[in-house]
Amino acid sequence: MAEDVLQVENVAKRFGPVTALRDVNLHLGKGEVLGLLGDNGAGKSTLIKIISGFQKPDEGRLLLRGEETELKSVDHARSLGIDCVYQDLALVNELSVTSNMFLRREHVHKPFPILKRRAMARDTRKALDQIGINLPRIDVPVARLSGGQRQAIAVARTVTSDADIILLDEPLAAMGAKEGAMILDLVARLRAEGRVSIIMIAHNYVHVLEACDRVNLIQDGEITFDKPTADTSVEELNEIVVEEYRRARVAAVGKDDPAGR
Amino acid sequence: MLVRFLTLREGSIIVVTLLAILYFSLSTEHFFSHANFINVLPYFAPFAILAAGEVLLMVAGEIDLSIGSVYLFSPFMFYQFNEAGLPLVACLILALLCSAVVGVINGIFVEVIGVSSFITTLGMLLGLGGLTLIISHAQPVAMPGADVTTHTVNVTHIVNGQKIVLPEQVNEVGTFAKIFGAGAYSELIWALVIILGTQVLLTLTRWGTYTIAVGGNRLGAREAGINVRLTVIRNFIVCSVFAGLVGVLEATRAGSVTPDTAGASESMFRAVSAAVIGGTLLIGGVGTAIGALFGALFLGVLRDGLTLKGVNADYLDFILGLAILGAMVVNIYVGKVRKGSGVG
Repeated sequence: MAEDVLQVENVAKRFGPVTALRDVNLHLGKGEVLGLLGDNGAGKSTLIKIISGFQKPDEGRLLLRGEETELKSVDHARSLGIDCVYQDLALVNELSVTSNMFLRREHVHKPFPILKRRAMARDTRKALDQIGINLPRIDVPVARLSGGQRQAIAVARTVTSDADIILLDEPLAAMGAKEGAMILDLVARLRAEGRVSIIMIAHNYVHVLEACDRVNLIQDGEITFDKPTADTSVEELNEIVVEEYRRARVAAVGKDDPAGR
Repeated sequence: MLVRFLTLREGSIIVVTLLAILYFSLSTEHFFSHANFINVLPYFAPFAILAAGEVLLMVAGEIDLSIGSVYLFSPFMFYQFNEAGLPLVACLILALLCSAVVGVINGIFVEVIGVSSFITTLGMLLGLGGLTLIISHAQPVAMPGADVTTHTVNVTHIVNGQKIVLPEQVNEVGTFAKIFGAGAYSELIWALVIILGTQVLLTLTRWGTYTIAVGGNRLGAREAGINVRLTVIRNFIVCSVFAGLVGVLEATRAGSVTPDTAGASESMFRAVSAAVIGGTLLIGGVGTAIGALFGALFLGVLRDGLTLKGVNADYLDFILGLAILGAMVVNIYVGKVRKGSGVG
């Protein structure tokens, strides 16, 4: 791969007594699609939130295009070209499709603070068409849309921004087969274009192997596995995760039950 | 067309208000008259302004109960600044600044310390009401600038073809008072301008979009990069400043102000009622200033209409209470129709 656009070095994050990230090292090459796997609670979303500027790490550092960078806020990260589709989508049910698409990126009639509603609606249409989402109306609150449509809007919002590092936290979670395929096609197209670099969290190994260049596995707050997708398989990934589960179970049983039944 | 109008968030309260106006116009002799229109204004315009600020906060998912006391506090500050020798306009600006400071304090308690807005502003309602009693020594004061001057003009009458010049007494107030409350339409104009401004703020600016976003999905708003604290605090400030302005308008209209904390709390409850009747939800994310205007108008029309109909004053609050509940039932029912019709 070409030079790294993003490096995460020795990042740790605690929430009170809970250690979410122990010591994370990760890198992302330009134009690369990195799949991030891991169980619930392994620290995937925390890592994403640190890279997106939503949370600050307790320890460690981020290098952005080779330069050490301290992300001060989501806005700051976005100004540096990092944008994120959060797991909860960060959509506002009460706002229209257009308002959600342009949330925090609104166009106004300068010097007046009045929103350019028509221009934003037009651009929303264009962006949705571009990635193949067909909505009958974009002036309705997003509360009216299906889970898949909402997810598609959240993805479209990020993909059509100027960001060149895109973080996708379970972009396929609420999707039906058809909409899921659309998102995977979109990722494939971005991968072929090579302009943006992507970190994608997913649970489905098949999707990850198909859509990504490389896989990282995060277990208990650390990256424990890092291979190009070409060098691994669903079986191998499955084996590692099941192995972890067995180890954890044995440890737990041993602790709770001194008789070791 | 009618269905579409009814399914607007403000639609139902507009229809209910028009029906109330129609009913009182047909059933009482004097309701539909210019004189009565002037009568209704103070029962509605000040509450519309208070409700506009409340709408902003309720859309952000918060509430401000302290507007009752800000409304009382600001004219007394106005009076104090005037006593200190400042000109009227400066007194007004400083009184509004004091109101803004109350908003900032409310906002800091809610957003920085993390006390719920209900508790914060309840504390502020009592505390600031108490402070007003201390400052005023519980004594009413005459509002500076609102004093009425009487002078005599000669008016020419024509009686039986003969010109007769008779002196007549004319009451006048100063320009400041005319603009800020004492003019017949002053409060109405302020209310309309503020309601319109609030509606534009809410629907056509980033400020409004972020307010809706914070009230609708607080975490999502933060994830999108919206400064949640700033959004909430500035709405607290605006709400407080509106309340401070109403305080000065009302005191100037009446010519004097009495530190009546119970009455002030009632004004606050009326404003919150107007906002809620108008279609603003207490849970945040949804609200309309136009609706609040009609909510306030509905309450004013009801009070005035019932009085004109000669309803015993003892029954007035009872009927008002029922009417508020009734209007809410209509709102919820229309809300269901709205969801079904797929119109925003």
